Amino acid sequence: MSYSIWIALVLAIWAYIGIVTTLGPGLWWQEALVSGFVTGVIVGNIPLGLTIGGSLTLLSLGLWTYGGATIPDFQTGSIVGTAIGALGGGFPAGFAIAVPTALLMTQMDVLGRAVTTIFIHGADHYTEEGDERGVSAMHLLGQLPWGLTRAIPVFLAIWLGAGPIQSLIKTAPAWFSNGMITAGHVLPALGFALLLSMLPLRRYWPFLLIGFLMFAYLNMPIIGIAILAVAIGFLFNMIQTRGAVNV
Amino acid sequence: MSEQIENQSVQSEKTGLEQGDLASHNGNFAPLSRSTVRSAMWRHLITLQWSWNYERMQALGYLYSMLPVINEVYQDKDERIAAMKRHLVFYNTNPQVGSPPIFGATVALEGQHEGKAVDSLKVGLMGPLAGIGDTIQAILFRPIVAVFAASLALSGSYFGPVIIFLSGILWTVLMIPLFYFGYRQGIGVAKEVTSQGTLTRVTEMVTMMGMIVIGGFIPSIMAAVQTPLKYVQTVSSQGQTHTETVALQSTLNAILPYMLPVLFVAFAYWLLSGLKLSAVWVLVILFVIAFVCGAFGIL
Repeated sequence: MSYSIWIALVLAIWAYIGIVTTLGPGLWWQEALVSGFVTGVIVGNIPLGLTIGGSLTLLSLGLWTYGGATIPDFQTGSIVGTAIGALGGGFPAGFAIAVPTALLMTQMDVLGRAVTTIFIHGADHYTEEGDERGVSAMHLLGQLPWGLTRAIPVFLAIWLGAGPIQSLIKTAPAWFSNGMITAGHVLPALGFALLLSMLPLRRYWPFLLIGFLMFAYLNMPIIGIAILAVAIGFLFNMIQTRGAVNV
Repeated sequence: MSEQIENQSVQSEKTGLEQGDLASHNGNFAPLSRSTVRSAMWRHLITLQWSWNYERMQALGYLYSMLPVINEVYQDKDERIAAMKRHLVFYNTNPQVGSPPIFGATVALEGQHEGKAVDSLKVGLMGPLAGIGDTIQAILFRPIVAVFAASLALSGSYFGPVIIFLSGILWTVLMIPLFYFGYRQGIGVAKEVTSQGTLTRVTEMVTMMGMIVIGGFIPSIMAAVQTPLKYVQTVSSQGQTHTETVALQSTLNAILPYMLPVLFVAFAYWLLSGLKLSAVWVLVILFVIAFVCGAFGIL
């Protein structure tokens, strides 16, 4: 089983659109859940797109490109993973491809960000001449390194790679699937830990415990915990502002 | 001073967004035309980061967005070139929350030929607004929405991706009022941002809410992390001894429910904050541990 060149092309275009619309206007189409879902629609396996996209989303919880930092590329990971898993092998195969792809793609992200530097030097040159069309062209073409560093790997992986990789994974024994499924269950720990490492945990840890208690001991549904959180947040605000008024 | 206050109140009474008349209050220069302001706003909204690069990051996107304004304000070619050069310096901030008010304010100032004020406003505000914008989006909004969406998706619901999709549209649409807020405030935007009393309180409040929700998310999302291991113990009852098989998981539950999810998060937190490992390394480590445990049937 493998994909036609046309599916590969459509997925490559989707990868290109996903990253460029993330740069502007910022539509969140690079989110694994959206890119996995759309890939699922294209390759005809929406449930797989949802599970791979959902799992990758959970382990990217605390990830953000602060100041232009490079983070694992779960957009490309979810596209390639969903497409390959859809050939057969399902979640274990797709997830086994998605995570390494996301990690390897960090190199392409660095490349894209570096190559775009050419365009700002071009813009310097056109500015010197007062050529506004040249400056505009430089800016608008800046999307090419960004988009192509995603589109080309996706195209090659789906067109040439999907078949061979798929036949390799399909023969994988049961322990391989079990390992992958467990990894999918455990990896959200990274997302939560990243998030907690960016929050002032030392100061706010009691609130973390309240949430845990509500779920683990009182079996409160998450929506209930969210409502409780809003109440507690406003309660604290009330206490603090009252203190300020009294002073 | 009183005149300024008057001007502000006049401005705040107007509710329409597209007023190219900020200049008329200062009276020195003709106001920018509506279409110029609108065109700059859309350029910024749609393309700001298309040419993001390591050297000057969002600088070229900023210049491209400002071009309609520069064209209208400066008739002389050398002046135009000088203005363009000013915007080719390093610029980087949060694109959706931080940049629109900065850009709006500098469009207004550029219309008043206040080049120096434009440059210092950009430099002064890009840091604070990057911090505020990233905190709101990356720490408070995105994780909570993403967990809801992901758990919906994992249970097979299409609403998962739809929620993320709508979130993206929400932030994009918000860029429009944020831009016009900056445009109407002009230089006053700096005062709004630096007087952070309300802002810190809101951030603090939302941090508390986020903490509580995350505390509930950890056990609920990772509930599947359980061990199938069993052990045999010898029990003596009524003078007779016999052996029975006990699931390790039920023993763990008796000590602390959801102990394994908590331990994994604590371990990952320690790797990140204690050992200062990068997220990529922690991902690799967790992946290997989980895969091996799963493959050998420990988890």
